[in-house]
Amino acid sequence: MNQSNNEQNESKLSRRDFLKLGGALTIGVTTLGLAAPLFKQLSGEQIQLDLDKFISTRKKDFIDYTRAKATPTICFGCTNHCGVIGWVQDGKVRRIEGNPLDPNSMGNTCSKTHGMISYTYYPERLLYPIKRVGKRGEGKWRRISWQEATQEVGDRLKTCRDSGHPERFIFHYGRDKTKGFTKRFTNAFGTPNRLNRRAICSSNRRVPLMSFFGRDFEWETQDMENTKYILNFGANPMEAYQGGLFMMHRMQKARVDNGAKMVSFEVRPTATVNCSEEYFKVMPGSDGAIGFAMANVIIDEGLVDNAFWKRWANIPLAEIKQHIKDWTPEHAEKLSGVPAKDIRRIAIEFAQAAPHCTTMTARGSAKHYNGTQGDRGLRMLDVLVGNVGREGGLCLSSGRMWGGGKYGQEGLPSVSQPKPKPPKPKAFTPGTAAYEDLPADIKEKVAQLDPKWQKKYQGELATPAEYPLAWHWYGMKVGQLVQPYIREGRAKVDVYMSFAYGAAYGYPEAKVCRDVLLDEKLVPFHVAIDIGYSEHAALADIILPEATSLERWDPHSTNCYGLVPYTGIRQPLVKPLGEAREIQIIFRDLARHIGGGMEQYFDYENVEDFYKEWYKNISARIPGGWEEFKRRGIWQDPDREKDYELYERPVPYEELVDSTIDPETQVITKVIKGKKRSVGIMMTDADTGEMKPVRGFPTPSRKIQVYDPIFPLAAKSARLPEGDPNGNALPTLFSIPGFDDLKEDDMILTTFKWNVHTQGRSSQWKFNAEIVHTNQLFINPKTAERMGLKTGDEVEVTVQRPKGLTYRGGINEVVGVVKNKVRLLNGVHERVICFAHAGGHWEHGAVARAENKESLPIKEPNSGLEKSVSNEIWWSKERGGTGNGAAMNDVLPINPSPLVGGQNWFDNICQIRKIS
Amino acid sequence: MSDLPPIPWEGTKDKQRSLNKKRVGMVVDLRRCIGCHACSIACKTENEIPLGSFRNRVRYLEQPETETLSFLPLLCMHCQDAPCLGACPTQAPTRLADGRVVINQDKCCGMKACISACPYGAIYIDTQSGRADKCDLCTHRTSLDLEPACVASCPTDTLRYGDLGDPNDPLAKYAKEHNAKPFKEDAGTHPSILYVKHEKWMEQSAATGVQLSPEDNEIIYEQNKGQS
Repeated sequence: MNQSNNEQNESKLSRRDFLKLGGALTIGVTTLGLAAPLFKQLSGEQIQLDLDKFISTRKKDFIDYTRAKATPTICFGCTNHCGVIGWVQDGKVRRIEGNPLDPNSMGNTCSKTHGMISYTYYPERLLYPIKRVGKRGEGKWRRISWQEATQEVGDRLKTCRDSGHPERFIFHYGRDKTKGFTKRFTNAFGTPNRLNRRAICSSNRRVPLMSFFGRDFEWETQDMENTKYILNFGANPMEAYQGGLFMMHRMQKARVDNGAKMVSFEVRPTATVNCSEEYFKVMPGSDGAIGFAMANVIIDEGLVDNAFWKRWANIPLAEIKQHIKDWTPEHAEKLSGVPAKDIRRIAIEFAQAAPHCTTMTARGSAKHYNGTQGDRGLRMLDVLVGNVGREGGLCLSSGRMWGGGKYGQEGLPSVSQPKPKPPKPKAFTPGTAAYEDLPADIKEKVAQLDPKWQKKYQGELATPAEYPLAWHWYGMKVGQLVQPYIREGRAKVDVYMSFAYGAAYGYPEAKVCRDVLLDEKLVPFHVAIDIGYSEHAALADIILPEATSLERWDPHSTNCYGLVPYTGIRQPLVKPLGEAREIQIIFRDLARHIGGGMEQYFDYENVEDFYKEWYKNISARIPGGWEEFKRRGIWQDPDREKDYELYERPVPYEELVDSTIDPETQVITKVIKGKKRSVGIMMTDADTGEMKPVRGFPTPSRKIQVYDPIFPLAAKSARLPEGDPNGNALPTLFSIPGFDDLKEDDMILTTFKWNVHTQGRSSQWKFNAEIVHTNQLFINPKTAERMGLKTGDEVEVTVQRPKGLTYRGGINEVVGVVKNKVRLLNGVHERVICFAHAGGHWEHGAVARAENKESLPIKEPNSGLEKSVSNEIWWSKERGGTGNGAAMNDVLPINPSPLVGGQNWFDNICQIRKIS
Repeated sequence: MSDLPPIPWEGTKDKQRSLNKKRVGMVVDLRRCIGCHACSIACKTENEIPLGSFRNRVRYLEQPETETLSFLPLLCMHCQDAPCLGACPTQAPTRLADGRVVINQDKCCGMKACISACPYGAIYIDTQSGRADKCDLCTHRTSLDLEPACVASCPTDTLRYGDLGDPNDPLAKYAKEHNAKPFKEDAGTHPSILYVKHEKWMEQSAATGVQLSPEDNEIIYEQNKGQS
């Protein structure tokens, strides 16, 4: 405001600005505007009086930061796991805010951090072990003691383990951030069937990372704060992406303060799209086509960083050029709808910004039938322009726990589980009881595997033979096939234990999961460990109530977007409510009950002591030790340099002792713990011209494997037809089966996640659900006009079963039909219908169900939970609201990607019909 | 080895409360907002606001010209010429010494005159107390030199808090440098919450819901009726 405005403002003052507060004093107005204060300064005493008076009128129990206790911990609101501070007052967690010492989040938080307090206090939370009294799934329960629960579950597990078939114990989990603690239990038990949901989430985009760079590094770690140009292929860090919180504040600074540009290729206006300088709507599954086209442009325009490519790519540029030459911008325009001229322009802009430029890929690009190969093409852009590991580029930083000396972790203190550690479960090799238990047709499939995979094979649930790349690098597994495979008899089950799992609601064709869980022949016993009464837990025989993230310990580390590794600790802010127990106590007591040697791995009374031991090498680096680490919640070596160009770092002398150099490949290998491993590569030193040992990448060639023979090997092992492009050693473009001949009315059904929600586990968080509680179908207004639809119309969506070399979950061509309402929205691709997946819950309590009535599985005395808010749920249908939307996951087909097994979420051809 | 950084959250224990700004205010930099709702939900958690009411709400607005959305956090504007102050016969809306507009709960009899007077839809009736309430810039926090909950929760520095009455304060400088303007300036209330890059068209559709669901808007957000 300028001075004349101020004068104007002053003349407009009305009597309403002269007021009394509590009859105590009059506040006079002097002047307005930025330059001068509005209110005359009063004496300190009077101001103090004012403030106190106002404070005293507030609700009596407001958060009083002069007496509330602050404890740092790690958020569990989503997959990011930000360092946070929890404020506890009168024994209750009242507020979570960011921990500024966390180098990833830098003290920032999102809506889930704040809303997730509900997870601990929502009225339907389970606080006592319960056992079903009716039929499974009937919803009738009785409260039991922990002693009874441990006895029954423990007996079942003991019988299974003693039978010589420990693999018949299935541990199926949703988000396990215990960093290997649950594995301690399954390993001690002897089962390889610790089954995750990585295929649901990210395996199609992790495989390109592991193939190219040797590891997935938890995730690639773009140097967002220093970048100038971001090519976004279907990633949504402003809303829902792993690492999103760590990226969003850096990206906004880069964009707004440093002029960085972001170009997004998407199917709907995501939050990230809305923060982009340019947005192109793309046909689902065509991101790879754009990537290959851009690669052609970069090569043709002479914008390749030849020195980098020659030094680090494992294939000559000429071969790639020849391989991709037909996938031109014009070709990509046909497939994607993005104009060729824009593809050219953007490719050039991107390359010219190098190395301060980076790609960003995610489910949008990767969760397709062609997504793994397509993402390899997109990753190639970074290699072509040489931004890998460089300032502002696509960096790789070490996440996960520190084993000491792993790639990129040199010099970091080792952080690992206390000893003794249980041995890993053995492979199912001929002669073992587990192998002999396999059905004959599975044995045949195993025999077709390459010997290196035969030696690692551990059954169809942990290591499905048709998807070797799901477990080649590490055990990503194929989570959406667990229940179908059990149904088909590919694996036998004695005890099925689910841990914080929502497959019965949230998995593709979730009804298959429910059917299997309801079948007591297939699943004789189901024990669920969960915080709340989820759709999955509702199909259990016994539910064990788990402590929430505000009540328990967990180790933490992940890749750091500040590019300096760090670690943190989740610690309890409050004691578990009711009789809820930490998983470490539940497993300790079960292990002791099972016995047979298992108990030795759980020899602790106090959970804190266990983690104190786990973190002893960190404590040793901190003046004040463990207590000071707990006080801060985060540790990062303040003197460590950023993880730029890890591949150029010298191999330390100690590692070169007794090593050998392959004269042909220059790869340095060494025998470590009886196994020959590569530790580096001889490279020409830029200054001296001499050959020197450097780290390279942790791939077999120590180079970036743009060419990777693992794909054809996997294709051969899985018996894909000769020449199938999924098995191409070079990144390859091909179409999603059925997409080349879509009819005019065929649409592609895609899903997404809102920023206030986290998978299916936040719909009972009242403040988050208040913002988003429905999942209407978003469609483009032009499409709607053609179909005669307007916002609010109810439609029927019919989803076709996908084609291609994937698992076929049913014989019907139609997967399912579902009803929902449409909502017109500009910016949605004309061929796309998109909906948020977290709608239509039928368990999880009143808020998630959007009902004005309680829905407790069992009525128990209140133990500090919040009183029911069911009378406040204004969005319920009873109150004339939208309700909680439609359960849509049943109509999404189980659709694992060939070789990798990643769920192809976005390949769903469907038709919609207006219901009159 | 370098010293460990200081611990920022340990400073409020047993601290004396005070209001030490001349004219308290905020800048909302819409160039930075990602529509994450952290501010809304942090506010609701901090102040235990019943379902159906908001002190701070992020609206999703469809851009008229492009195929993208804009995000718009709205809250009490702490107007210098605040209509709520004059509208209430019992003088429940009032000010503290640093200019923030608050509602004195002891004086409110729930007759909603302030709600009708507010051009920003910032005031609601607390369903538990039956009295009007609204954003007070987290007096219980800011009097201890903590930022308001919404500002502290914002992951992109969209929301900034400070002293508009002190030209040397970083907030006043930021407002000046980026030409921050009131939202709905035509209402003539001279807000202390200023916006960077807000566009006129946003004012028309500011009452639409947060979830892109037109039904929602009519049911909740009583506080917004009459302002669209």
